Amino acid sequence: MLNRISTLFADAKDLNALRIENNEMIIEIAYISSLCDESKVSDFILVPFQKEQQPFDLILERNPQFQLVHDPAMWTHIILRGFVLLSVKGKIYSLDTARIIRNETPLTQVETAILGPQLALSEDLVDSINIIRSRYPSPDLGIEEKTVGSMSQTRLMMLYDNRHVDPNVLSEARLKLQSIRIDFLNATGQLERKLNGKRSLLPTMMITERPDRIVNCLQRGKVILLMQGSMFAIVLPATFYEFMHAVDDDYDSFWMTRMLILLRYIAVILTITMPALYIAVVSYNPELFRVQLAFSIAGSRSAVPYPSFVEVFIMLFMIESLIEASLRLPKYIGSTATTVGGLILGQAAQQAGLVSSIMIIVTSVVAISNFVVPVNNMSIAIRFVKYPLIIPAIFFGITGVTVGIFALVCYMTHLRSFGKPYIRIFGPIKAHAGDIGQVREE
Amino acid sequence: MNRYFYYNVVLGTMLNLMLFIPHILVKYRYTGAISSMAVAVVIGTVLSYTFTYVIQTFPGKGMPEILYLFLPRAVVIPTLLFMAAMWFIASSIALIGYAVLINRFFNPDTSAMIVLALLCLVCIYAATRSSLSVMFMMEMGLIINTPLILFILMKSVRSENMSWDAIRTVANYWQQMPQLAPVAAASYLFTGYINFAIYNRLTPPNFRLRYRWIVPVFGTVFMLISFFVPIGFHGTETVVHYIYLWSVTSDALIMNYGFIERVIFVFLILYLNLTLIYTTSGWHQAMEFVKSCFPANKPDVDQRKVPLSNWIITSVFGVLTLLHLYFFNEKESFQFASGWLILRLFVESITVIGLFILCVRWRRASS
Amino acid sequence: MKHKPSIVALILALLAAALSGCGFKDIDKRFFVVAIGIDRPADNPKNYLVTLKLAVPSPKIEPGAAKAQIESVEAPTIAEAVRLIKSYVDKELDFGHCKIYMLGDSLAQQGYTDAINWVSRRRDIQNVAYLAIGKPDARTIIQSNPPAERYPGNTLFLQFGKDGTESSYIISTYIFDFVRRVGEHGLDPVLPIMRKEKEEYIITRVALLDKEKAVAALTPSETEIFNQISHHMTKSTVTANVNGEIMVLSVNKITSRYKIVKEADGSHMLRMTIKISGIFEEAPMGVYSADWAKLEAAFNKQYEFEANSLLKKIQQAGVDPLGFGLRYRATHKGSEQTWKRWQTIYPQLKFDVTAKITIEGTGISD
Repeated sequence: MLNRISTLFADAKDLNALRIENNEMIIEIAYISSLCDESKVSDFILVPFQKEQQPFDLILERNPQFQLVHDPAMWTHIILRGFVLLSVKGKIYSLDTARIIRNETPLTQVETAILGPQLALSEDLVDSINIIRSRYPSPDLGIEEKTVGSMSQTRLMMLYDNRHVDPNVLSEARLKLQSIRIDFLNATGQLERKLNGKRSLLPTMMITERPDRIVNCLQRGKVILLMQGSMFAIVLPATFYEFMHAVDDDYDSFWMTRMLILLRYIAVILTITMPALYIAVVSYNPELFRVQLAFSIAGSRSAVPYPSFVEVFIMLFMIESLIEASLRLPKYIGSTATTVGGLILGQAAQQAGLVSSIMIIVTSVVAISNFVVPVNNMSIAIRFVKYPLIIPAIFFGITGVTVGIFALVCYMTHLRSFGKPYIRIFGPIKAHAGDIGQVREE
Repeated sequence: MNRYFYYNVVLGTMLNLMLFIPHILVKYRYTGAISSMAVAVVIGTVLSYTFTYVIQTFPGKGMPEILYLFLPRAVVIPTLLFMAAMWFIASSIALIGYAVLINRFFNPDTSAMIVLALLCLVCIYAATRSSLSVMFMMEMGLIINTPLILFILMKSVRSENMSWDAIRTVANYWQQMPQLAPVAAASYLFTGYINFAIYNRLTPPNFRLRYRWIVPVFGTVFMLISFFVPIGFHGTETVVHYIYLWSVTSDALIMNYGFIERVIFVFLILYLNLTLIYTTSGWHQAMEFVKSCFPANKPDVDQRKVPLSNWIITSVFGVLTLLHLYFFNEKESFQFASGWLILRLFVESITVIGLFILCVRWRRASS
Repeated sequence: MKHKPSIVALILALLAAALSGCGFKDIDKRFFVVAIGIDRPADNPKNYLVTLKLAVPSPKIEPGAAKAQIESVEAPTIAEAVRLIKSYVDKELDFGHCKIYMLGDSLAQQGYTDAINWVSRRRDIQNVAYLAIGKPDARTIIQSNPPAERYPGNTLFLQFGKDGTESSYIISTYIFDFVRRVGEHGLDPVLPIMRKEKEEYIITRVALLDKEKAVAALTPSETEIFNQISHHMTKSTVTANVNGEIMVLSVNKITSRYKIVKEADGSHMLRMTIKISGIFEEAPMGVYSADWAKLEAAFNKQYEFEANSLLKKIQQAGVDPLGFGLRYRATHKGSEQTWKRWQTIYPQLKFDVTAKITIEGTGISD
């Protein structure tokens, strides 16, 4: 066995391939030292083997942690996952000694809630499942394991509640997971993109780090995908409304949270339509709003030499770069950059007559309302949606904006998240009355 | 579930404004519009009750499937094609009317042709979606737009600029005999139910339609509003001068404290949405009728992958619509629409009654 | 098929290039017309003199900062005049925010049909814009520049609209209302008359028009009563002279109701009841302790007399701005005959106005 393994890992310096013997027998062990917890190796293998209190082959048979490996083709795979491979009397066993470096008891950072649980999922699968299981003490919790990525062999866990889950969703999820072709899987977002289809405009799966959201979703019959090495989980299927729902909405005062939900929808509408509407109103239909507003826009624009859409592009370019810069810069400089950019550039651009003061307001509204969306992957998707809408606005004004929004609504109504309608008002339906499209003619 | 049926009804009723119906009715205001409307209420109610009886007998089956049950293919295919033409014409009239309106109020410098091309493009895209998606889209659109439209209508009814004397004057002409053209026009308000000729494919097996009284009640109220309010605003004489009667009427309203001051813009945007939804739904149904002519076609109400045939059929619709605008002017379009309304009344009555007879026979035979 | 998206993008870009420039015009490249005056010039009454007030937007919005540019051109038709003005200015004219359409006094006297025709046919003209008569001509009014305007035309907008001042002497007429009255059987148009004094506008009178031209003008006090009867204008007053003392009642509530009845002798009588309640705004001391019923009776009598003479004056002018004819049609059988009959009735119609004025209080109790 050792020969074979050393040829497989010819260039790996950190491979430990040993042959040790005691009075009774000779065993061969192989593991990658950097992946393994050496103390575990010595506790479970080296020490009992040397002490010889019990015959070592008996230990191997009785201790269920040692597992028999039949297929030599699996050897590399096993070793690469931090297992120790033992060869005893012609039989091959494996033992999990993986040492995974991970963030310790992480706190929520992406999706924070003031009064909600502060603990986030862990980057280690086992820890994450621990967190979820302890919050969801139910025997119905089903867990399936899958591997995705031809190179990375990333482990995935699929969690669902047996009683509530929709079997159609489950089978479609399994099918989609199987059909994924990817070499390396590094982040949950990558997996989401693979499941979603490459050119999808809006996410149909939620990415979250909050255990409370996950538990809620499990209880409502959703399927959760956890990934080794990522502290984010995928929740599927998801509707558009769930993306607008923050976990806080269940924890805080009823009326205020209802208002906040409404505010989020308005914010989303604003962030999508404002740039397009600005172009439409300024260049096509200034009679749309009050005469007072028309005159003040006309006044503040009188110094601007470029057509409205160039102005919009300048400002949007600026704000997008600011957001991108504050993301890329180290944390401590980040806030300075935003302040400098936001305050000084905006002020100067307006004074230089490059953009109108109304446009500054439009840009800030667009940027701020964008971040009101509680789920990050939706927030980013929405950040893009405003651009396609600008094009019809340039050519058709307010008509173009309306038609563009209509097309967007059409696109959304045709989206399905694992067979479930993505955007549909009044979700639940009385079971006895039936639902439309329930029956398919085969 | 019931609500999806009523979405169709409400949409059809509200869209009458785009199909010149108030204008046709107003033209006959001294010569029988009132009595024609009364007749239309009766006709519309009877037809809708009859039709809903039929579709409840065959839940999950669209009209093509029902026809194939009873009639030979040679009879069914021409019928289906004819039906497709009816649906297509209705929605295209509305779309063309709207392109002209946009050209008049929003984009005076862009030609109506280009505007129509844009509208056609988006309707082609929307109509190729599956029946279920079209239904969801209709739901979304109506939920967003209807409250605002009702608000504007309420505002118009309560406006102090409305002359009730003018309305009473016209109402005094109720003794005139009804005439065909206004009857055909007014009965259109009750015709939303006919969309279930295709959408009945979506109904679940235990489908029971309730609250059918909504059809006549909503239709009548809306008919009265869409006929009398413009008279109240434009007087008994001037009212007949406007073809796009309601857009002119909405221009007579202002929202003093509204974000947008002139109601006409809100009104036009809302009705643009409705027209797009209506056209999408109409083209989608016409497309389904055409597709049903092919023996290989299996209706799938929630088809995720849009087949190429959908794109081809709806693109043909789009091109035909553009050609119509190219060859006909406003006046001819209006005459075409009024002619079509009359034809529609007959075709619809024959279809519904025919289906009813088939259905009764089938029930007898099976019991 | 691999390059599908790029092909689609290319096609879109080509389409976009073909489309570009269709009506795309930035707001700063437009001249907003805020008011239009249409006159018949005195020396050449066949032509039209069209005056446009164009707003010059300024970044500052403060009292007195409003700047406007006035352009006037004479041409045989209004459309031609507007087209000519386009060659006088550097930006595209936009009528979308034009709220005031002013007819010159002489134009209104000679016949307004063509002007109204132009106004109602143009698609970018609001139906809710105001129509008025300018005295002595529209151009003078349009040209004046009120000193405290925040932005051009604001004074005009506020004066006509209900947002700003609400005066009982102003009857604002929307275009759609005017057009409807021009066409209606049994309802005739009215227009406010606007004058200029120093740099300010004054509207105190209303002109009565028939289907083609202006036929009469009401005095300010008649205008107020007209406004009370037709619009139930509450921000108004009722004045009476009791024993040589002038008393003024500020109105809280007005209702008016009328009926056209056939008398026994076959003639027709219009019975109108006007109920007004209000509080004293101006009265001699001691009015609190006086007999209110007597005061009310005095008020009633004077008001009835004034209203009666107003109605007679309107009738003699041969017009029907209060819509008596329409009411007659609304309450009688629907047929052509009804309207014909009314045309013979109206010149002989008798009026019987009953005023019921209630004094609610005296403001102070002496």
